Amino acid sequence: MKARIDFRSILALVAILAVLLPILATDTPWPTEPRDYLAEHAEDETGAKNIVSAIYLGYRVFDTMGETIVLLVAVLGTIGILTKVESLVGDTQQTIGIVSAFSLSAEKRRSNRLRTHLLEVVTGKVGPIVLLFGFYVMLYGHLSPGGGFQGGVIIASGIVFLALGNQRGETSHLSNSEKLVHIETIAFLLLVIVSSSGLITGSPFFGNPLDHTAVPVGYIVVLNAVIGLKVGTSMGFLCIAMMGGTD
Amino acid sequence: MVDRLLLLILFLIGFLTIVAKRNMIKKIFGLNIINAAVVILFVLEGSRIGMDAPISNGEPQQFVDPLPQALMLTAIVIGVCITALSLALAVHLYRIGGTFDIDKVKERLHDGL
Amino acid sequence: MMGYEDLVATTFMLPLLGAAIAFCAKLVGKERKIAKVCEYGGACIGLVAPIVVLVQLLPGMLDGQVITGIIGGWSGTVGITFRFDGLAWLIDLLGYTIALAAYIYSLSSGPKGPSFTGIFLIQSAALAATIMTNDLFNLFVCLEVLGITSYVLIPTSGKPGASLAAFSYLMVSATAMVFFLVGTYGLYRITGSLSYAGIAGGLATMDPEAYGVAVMSLSVLVAAVAIRVAVMPLYGWLPDAHALAPHAISAVLSGVLIKTPLFALSRVLVLFPIGGRVGYLMGLAGGITAFLGVVLALSQSDAKRLLAYHSISQIGYVVAAWGMAAHMGIHTPEGAALMVAAYLHALFHALFKGLLFFSIGTTTDVTKVRDVLASRNSIASLRSAGERLPITFVTFLAGALSITAIPPFNGFVSKYLVGSSLKGSLVSFLLIAAGVGTVASFIKLSRIYWPMKHTFPQSVEKITFLPRHLAQLLLASLCIATGIWAPWIIGIVGKLLGGVSRLDGFSPYSPDNLIKTGSTVVGGILLFLLMGRPWVSDILHRIRDRRMDFKGLFVSFSLGTAAMALWLWV
Repeated sequence: MKARIDFRSILALVAILAVLLPILATDTPWPTEPRDYLAEHAEDETGAKNIVSAIYLGYRVFDTMGETIVLLVAVLGTIGILTKVESLVGDTQQTIGIVSAFSLSAEKRRSNRLRTHLLEVVTGKVGPIVLLFGFYVMLYGHLSPGGGFQGGVIIASGIVFLALGNQRGETSHLSNSEKLVHIETIAFLLLVIVSSSGLITGSPFFGNPLDHTAVPVGYIVVLNAVIGLKVGTSMGFLCIAMMGGTD
Repeated sequence: MVDRLLLLILFLIGFLTIVAKRNMIKKIFGLNIINAAVVILFVLEGSRIGMDAPISNGEPQQFVDPLPQALMLTAIVIGVCITALSLALAVHLYRIGGTFDIDKVKERLHDGL
Repeated sequence: MMGYEDLVATTFMLPLLGAAIAFCAKLVGKERKIAKVCEYGGACIGLVAPIVVLVQLLPGMLDGQVITGIIGGWSGTVGITFRFDGLAWLIDLLGYTIALAAYIYSLSSGPKGPSFTGIFLIQSAALAATIMTNDLFNLFVCLEVLGITSYVLIPTSGKPGASLAAFSYLMVSATAMVFFLVGTYGLYRITGSLSYAGIAGGLATMDPEAYGVAVMSLSVLVAAVAIRVAVMPLYGWLPDAHALAPHAISAVLSGVLIKTPLFALSRVLVLFPIGGRVGYLMGLAGGITAFLGVVLALSQSDAKRLLAYHSISQIGYVVAAWGMAAHMGIHTPEGAALMVAAYLHALFHALFKGLLFFSIGTTTDVTKVRDVLASRNSIASLRSAGERLPITFVTFLAGALSITAIPPFNGFVSKYLVGSSLKGSLVSFLLIAAGVGTVASFIKLSRIYWPMKHTFPQSVEKITFLPRHLAQLLLASLCIATGIWAPWIIGIVGKLLGGVSRLDGFSPYSPDNLIKTGSTVVGGILLFLLMGRPWVSDILHRIRDRRMDFKGLFVSFSLGTAAMALWLWV
């Protein structure tokens, strides 16, 4: 099917060009007030050396909560849509397992030509290392580039590696979909509780409950950990489901 | 200036892909392209005011504007989620309609309903 | 213990907590009783507790108290400011009432399950957050959460067309949100702030050369929000999405999700010097929407599509009043009166549209026929499916009388308010014409209930009626109650929105207005009879078959954005 670049498309394109060109072409100097404010105060107010972490886990943690919720809903929706199949042609209900390339259950494994020895060796050895690296990125987010989301995605790829199994045909418990869903659900509950925990010590919602103690940065570390777990397990679950195996 | 014009061209390519291509997967490509263009725009322009990464190390420094970077973290994650959901919908529509062409799927649904 | 800032934050935190608890029901098996406790407990925390909070906040709101602050108590340069005032209170009331009724309805009609409950509660939380936020990027995040919950909930009805509707809605809405980001870029670049107050301050002191950027950014922002509101010409995604979604979700989509972004936008516009001009163009677009929506609705044969096109038409009323309110300035007496009219019509429309979706939903679930031209004798079908008293027909009648603006129902009051506030302008003529069309199309819709002479056995589906009846009766009684006690409600709304405690010249029961109502009804009946003529129904068929295709969604978005930009520039 070729693209139809007809009159309407060109009209839309020209309209958008006319509207966006002034915005993108402007040479107004980029504002420095936020940067200056943050350079002075961010480390004192939040305790984090990584200013970007200080922003999205401190000043604007509400946006991060919204983003985590978008991830949660998207994963639920994607799994829900992929696992219900209808067809106008009249097929009966199929489950996603039949239409995938990589099957994860050990019985079908040897027969699938796309699984090679190379793959099994690599994923078996690299999986735990990637998982460890993911935890490092997640927990060090307040000191160096990294954080909950970045670490979470690396953890998800570690889970995928573990799910692909190793030479001996073992699969780790971490790739069991039910456990992943359990961890994810608890992580979301923890996230809501941790962000409301400010109330106990007198800070408002999303405020730092450890603000006047010795380690205000502990709040950011905990948030990083919870978000990393949530993101990691939900993306891992999504990838495993798309790959076709939910033993 | 040149880089912003290039980003504008990238954005327009992505937009044209969404509008003109009939394959649903290619439309999703286009959505990703325009997301990428806007993310690069924010981060690039925010980096004009400094040279260092925004990690404080005790001494006063002129680092890049960290606010666009934090905003774009959120925007990237939201973009990925939308992509995943739209791909799932596209695959579901493929199973229903037998093709990725959105106009044909629309016709078949209207005939079948 | 909890300061006022925290209390208002609970309007969106409680549904999130409820959602987290509802999701915990997935941790245990489906059959175990504790799963049900988690799910319904979460729903109560998420839908009932916020209403209690709102009641607590009411006395303060009536005194004119406005609660502003920064979420988390962080600094204002970088943090997220919020503002909880009368408008936020009213929109929260609207959102939670409809959400509660829709959730009760969904207990019988489906979809069901802890995932559905959780996502539904998240949608309500996002609604509360959207109207409270005073930060541009936070508005982006909240609109994305609203969007993604809709994209996920629409296909749950299982109809194949619903997935296509969700896909089209997703593509056009996600693209619009990327444009929103570009607008945010423009405004941040000029002003260095993301909060509405900061942006307004920055715009007041900006370099005159940057005026073009400000105008273009604002028009892109307005267009991105206008897509969610579905005014002409950006309505293309709505009919499929609302018609093919599950009934409970259709009620929430039509009732709340197309209105909250509009009122959130008014917070942005109030701070911009050129906000008033935006309002004028939107007001005109609203009037055209009201009229064209009815014309398109008249041509539909599917019952839920007819209701969906009517949603477009009624949102036209709201946008017309809202636009003119922004144009006149919200703090002037005329502007405040128009804003009250816009909100009241939004609230009453949510009530009666939800009621109509529920009643039609129950009827079509029983008879399995959605084609208005083919279905008949539904009261008998409903009775044979297990409904002892014709409650569904009565509630449908309540909804239909409300939307056609018959006293003493609430639609009568709100349409009178909108009409009288806009008296004399071009927009009011369009609204009168729309009123005639509304009567005609609801006579057409009610045909599915008319008894037939030769009754042949129709297969009916037995369904559980109790939750459906509860939800329907709740909304129907609210429709009548809000109609009868309208002056008192108007007083409260006026106070909350702008300190106007009485509307001058409010006389919906004057002979003038009653004659007008009567002639609208007569006109509608004549139009309905005219629709039976072959040449008229031929025209209607042609209109119906011209659907907006996917490309049309984007072309209309681009042209709308460009038109808004041109209007503001000149």
